[in-house]
Amino acid sequence: MEPAEVEFLAEKELVTIVPNFSLDRIHLIGGDLGPFNPGLPVEVPVWLAINLKQRQKCRLIPPEWMDVGKLEEIRDQERKEDTFTPMPSPYYMELTKLLLNYASDNIPRADEIRTLVKDTWDTRMAKLRLSADSFVRQQEAHAKLDNLTLMEINTTGTFLTQALDHMYKLRTNLQPGEGSHSQEF
Amino acid sequence: MFVSDCRREFYDLIVTQRVLLLVASDVDALCACKILQALFQCDHVQYTLVPVAGWQELETAFLEHKDQFKYFVLINCGANVDLLEILQPEEDTYFFVCDSHRPINVVNVYNDTQIKLLVKQEDDLDVPAYDDIFRDEEEEEEEEEDSEKESDGSEPLEKRRRFEEEVIERTMKRRQRREWEARRREILFDYEQYEYHGTSSAMVMFDLAWVMSKDLNDMLWWAIVGLTDQWVQDKITQMKYVTDIGILQRHVSRHNHRNEDEENSLSIDCMRIAFEYDLRLALYQHWSLYESLCNTCYTSASLKLWSVQGQKRLQEFLADMGLPLKQVKQKFNSMDMSLKENLREMIEESANKFGMKDLRVQTFSIHFGFKNKFSASDIVYATTSLMENIEKEGPETTNFIKALDSLSRGNLDKLHQGLDLAKKQLRAIQQTVASCICTNLVISQGPFLYCSLMEGTPDVKLFSKPVSLCLLSKYLLKSFVCSTKNKRCKLLPLVMAAPMDVEQGTVIMVGIPPETESSDKKNFFGRAFEKAAESTSSRTLHNHFQMSIIELKTEDRSKFLDALISLLS
Repeated sequence: MEPAEVEFLAEKELVTIVPNFSLDRIHLIGGDLGPFNPGLPVEVPVWLAINLKQRQKCRLIPPEWMDVGKLEEIRDQERKEDTFTPMPSPYYMELTKLLLNYASDNIPRADEIRTLVKDTWDTRMAKLRLSADSFVRQQEAHAKLDNLTLMEINTTGTFLTQALDHMYKLRTNLQPGEGSHSQEF
Repeated sequence: MFVSDCRREFYDLIVTQRVLLLVASDVDALCACKILQALFQCDHVQYTLVPVAGWQELETAFLEHKDQFKYFVLINCGANVDLLEILQPEEDTYFFVCDSHRPINVVNVYNDTQIKLLVKQEDDLDVPAYDDIFRDEEEEEEEEEDSEKESDGSEPLEKRRRFEEEVIERTMKRRQRREWEARRREILFDYEQYEYHGTSSAMVMFDLAWVMSKDLNDMLWWAIVGLTDQWVQDKITQMKYVTDIGILQRHVSRHNHRNEDEENSLSIDCMRIAFEYDLRLALYQHWSLYESLCNTCYTSASLKLWSVQGQKRLQEFLADMGLPLKQVKQKFNSMDMSLKENLREMIEESANKFGMKDLRVQTFSIHFGFKNKFSASDIVYATTSLMENIEKEGPETTNFIKALDSLSRGNLDKLHQGLDLAKKQLRAIQQTVASCICTNLVISQGPFLYCSLMEGTPDVKLFSKPVSLCLLSKYLLKSFVCSTKNKRCKLLPLVMAAPMDVEQGTVIMVGIPPETESSDKKNFFGRAFEKAAESTSSRTLHNHFQMSIIELKTEDRSKFLDALISLLS
């Protein structure tokens, strides 16, 4: 999958906004949205929230996990454990990027949040690389990783599977087979 | 007619329609256009943007588009002439004019249906009263008919007496009419004689956005740039500038108060605007302090930097402040921090000693990201030079679009290109001014000073554009006033001519008002040029929205000037 596709899927997550216009309930295929009343918070998918924010029709409220204290705890927890810890949202990276790009004026201490999320991401990617490395070295047959998010899986997924395929081909060619005589001049 | 409620009578009408935006070629218009575009994007209004540089382009654009659009918005063009006469529109087309050119044509003011003026009425407009200028023609004829009818049915004696009375009445009425017309001509002449500028269009547009609660920091910044453009080009008085800065200052504090709050401070990428009592040196933060001092009109004129004495005085000035030459010639950002910290106060103190009392000016600066800090006048210079870039890259309007883009925060490369062009332009202006003064090219023609740039002067192509030529003339006049000893010459206005197009043999001529301490920036050259052209039937083109800029054929130049001299003396 392309990272853009993963981000597209992430935009379905719900986030709270405070609109400044009023509109009745709208019925879409994926579900109902609204009604919108000025000053009253309402939950909408991220794609709509970003669009309304760009048209200056709403104010975004950051999700409750997007807070410096909580993110510091998460980061420290991640650094302590060897395995992956559960993340506050299956799309934490995409949501952080989207919300901080388009609505950083509604999110307090946005720069610190960005740094903390990046730190957590880096730790998890390092663990992923380590685990992939040990998997290959020990020639395991299968592995189980909990609490990975789709974006993280997507970064290594293609490479890992293709690399393992190549290694399999090389390994089968090493063993002497029936039709593989070496040629001599 | 004047629009009293911008929102209801302008925005709500066009929000559901397709609109044609006709935008003049100056920075104030660009800023107003940006604000309006942002509002349109929020509300998904369909619009077409057509940049126009003069009346001819306005007419062509109108003729091209008049079948498709009913609503036209004119920015910084169209208020000072009779629009209906020039454009001949249909009955159901509406024009919304947001223009800072004054005086507003009386037909535009008193037309109730088709022309709506987006102008703040606090500006002292001095529009003549309706009855002084317009008079119902029908009343006159009715009265004459009545008096004739009466004279038919009565007895001979009384008839004769009544006839005499009626003749007297009629002559009295005719005399009154002639007096009224003479008074009307006088009133109109007084009203239209002087050209000046009112509130910046960008500020008017920002006001509209504010009334609709859709104003953003970005729009506020564009309004600031629009106002600063008026100040840089010397279009408004100091009083008006300070008043408008005060108005904008309130908006700035409203939008930017969160910067002081440590707990919830904004991300560094967010745009912040700060009020500053900054130095008047052009582009000094993107150049070296030395270059900026040499190429800013105010310092170069006060220190008389075209002479050897002047250069020595500059060195004294720098020595007085304790700034080593090596530091001062480096890029400003690489100067020692210890020198930069108290720079403004140090410069102000020394400047006072050297006779430069107004070296600091109230202005705003914008700050986003870690690297980007710009002052409002920097943006004005950069955008002007982008718009008037003589290197043609593609169709006519690319320069306009590039300049428009450079006002958005995302297009920093265009802005930096503009800053480089602006540096070149300022240097060229200073060199031209220096050579004009040293070779005494500025001659007094009696009622005005005259200077003409020759064909082979370096960088003369830069001055074939109106805004650059205006800037050059203002700087030249300021420097001339500082350099001459003739008291009478100091109070004269200046007419400046530069070759415009060599193949067609045209010259661009600009007239600017005299340079005095408390001048009200009113320019009479618009009407003077018109009259002189008429009387000599010179081949002139009054294409620019500002009447004091014209183009004429090189051969007609001398007779035009003679007519102008006799007109004004």
